[in-house]
Amino acid sequence: MLDLRPTARVAFAFLWVIGQAALVLTAGLRADHVLGFRMFPEASTLEIHLSRVTPDVILPAPRGEWAARDGAGQLRHFSWRDRVRDPVLQSIDVTVFAAYGVDAQLARLQHALDDVADHIDQDEDTLRLRADVVVSKNGGDAYNATLFSHVRRER
Amino acid sequence: MVGVLRRWRDEVGDTHGLAVTRVALGVLLFSNALRAARELRDGYFGDFFHWPILPEALVPHRNLYALLVMAQVLLSAFVVAGHRARGALFASAIVGLYILLCDRLQFHNNRVALFLYSLLLSLSPCDRGFSVAPALATGTGPLWAARLAQFQLAFIYVASGGSKLLDADWRSGRVLLERFVLFGQNAIANGMPNSIVRWATQPDSASALAKIAIATELGLAIGLWSRRARILALWWGVWFHLAIEVSSRVEGFTWLTLAVYALFSTPDVRARKFYYDPFRRRSRMLARAVTWLDWLARFDVRPWLPDGLHKGHSIVVIRRDGTLATGLGAVAMVTRCIPVFFPLWAPLALAASFTRGGDTSARS
Repeated sequence: MLDLRPTARVAFAFLWVIGQAALVLTAGLRADHVLGFRMFPEASTLEIHLSRVTPDVILPAPRGEWAARDGAGQLRHFSWRDRVRDPVLQSIDVTVFAAYGVDAQLARLQHALDDVADHIDQDEDTLRLRADVVVSKNGGDAYNATLFSHVRRER
Repeated sequence: MVGVLRRWRDEVGDTHGLAVTRVALGVLLFSNALRAARELRDGYFGDFFHWPILPEALVPHRNLYALLVMAQVLLSAFVVAGHRARGALFASAIVGLYILLCDRLQFHNNRVALFLYSLLLSLSPCDRGFSVAPALATGTGPLWAARLAQFQLAFIYVASGGSKLLDADWRSGRVLLERFVLFGQNAIANGMPNSIVRWATQPDSASALAKIAIATELGLAIGLWSRRARILALWWGVWFHLAIEVSSRVEGFTWLTLAVYALFSTPDVRARKFYYDPFRRRSRMLARAVTWLDWLARFDVRPWLPDGLHKGHSIVVIRRDGTLATGLGAVAMVTRCIPVFFPLWAPLALAASFTRGGDTSARS
């Protein structure tokens, strides 16, 4: 099966080359540029500060930890790291290297916010999660980017 | 064009280099599988935040994933041993790519490249050497898939170098400068001299190094295909990747690329002769080292009975074209052909070209 006939070799190689070219040329369309073979694309850093939006106020979640009441009114502890294990994304309130670039990490962070928002069922206080990110791209001046998770079900 | 295509499609040659690359890929697949097993011990990725490219329904559950990781370990052992190696390579590539598609947080360029090379190599007769299976009568086979793997390497260089060339921060050296600032201490910890790191963290140095890096990547993509420039391109590429290995964390990318470099060796076996003096301890040791380390089977190693020409020489190398090299010239030839000594080749060859017994004056 792995010994291709001469005509199949040409067809396979043609598809391979076209496929690789397409993946590389369209890498810019993907937020994290996967399959684009962009080695060492940036030397940027991120510092993620997590907070949660409640009906009344925005409350910080230092180090990604917070306490909120469940349906029975009991106070419960929640941690960002219970759900997020990625070495970059799990680092809250510390400056970390943005592997694969700022765009890639912000795209991942957006998905992580949505994912965590979907997995804190017992938190009856939080409407949505918010991340304020201090970004330094390639050693340039720092700027802020703010991301929100989707709104959890109305509470 | 049609002629070139036909020659590529039908080319047949020695498969020794393919076998070397297969063993190296097997070791890297094994290392990758062990990493996955270690990460699984700390928790199954599907239980935490992950970001699949495939639909979530196609992400394996914990037990299936554990089976896949175990299968990767076993398959890599088959690849290294050469038993059903091509099927094992193919399966390793498919499983590896599938897992990457299940979680793009696990995506790394080196992992994708490893699985792509594995897939391509599985289509080549890479199981005819370094194998526990009974050896086939012939060590030759079709090389089209090996050439495609070589193309893949060049393609990666173009993609990487091209993206840097189009990025103003990269061209100016800003990215490299900041990397040196952020990771300079790691490079020092890995053995890079403090003075070099200090020099690299100067804006002018970083700017020059950035241009060299871009030119190197794009130059390698072309130079590796040139018969005349290939050896220099390979030597430069080896040092380029070793420098990256020391200064950055790239998992197995350095060793993966160097393994694929073996595919660029001319597909002939023992086309050079290495004669040694069996009565000298130093000669015997050199011969033994060459026998052990000549993974690409470049040399036919033989003792000689000293005669007029060989008198005074521990070793004499007869090149592919029949010319002789003695002294430093012979040592340069050895470094040219023995992978672990290859980084030393260019300076030795340059020095040898100035010696009486070197490359020019020892020709028959």
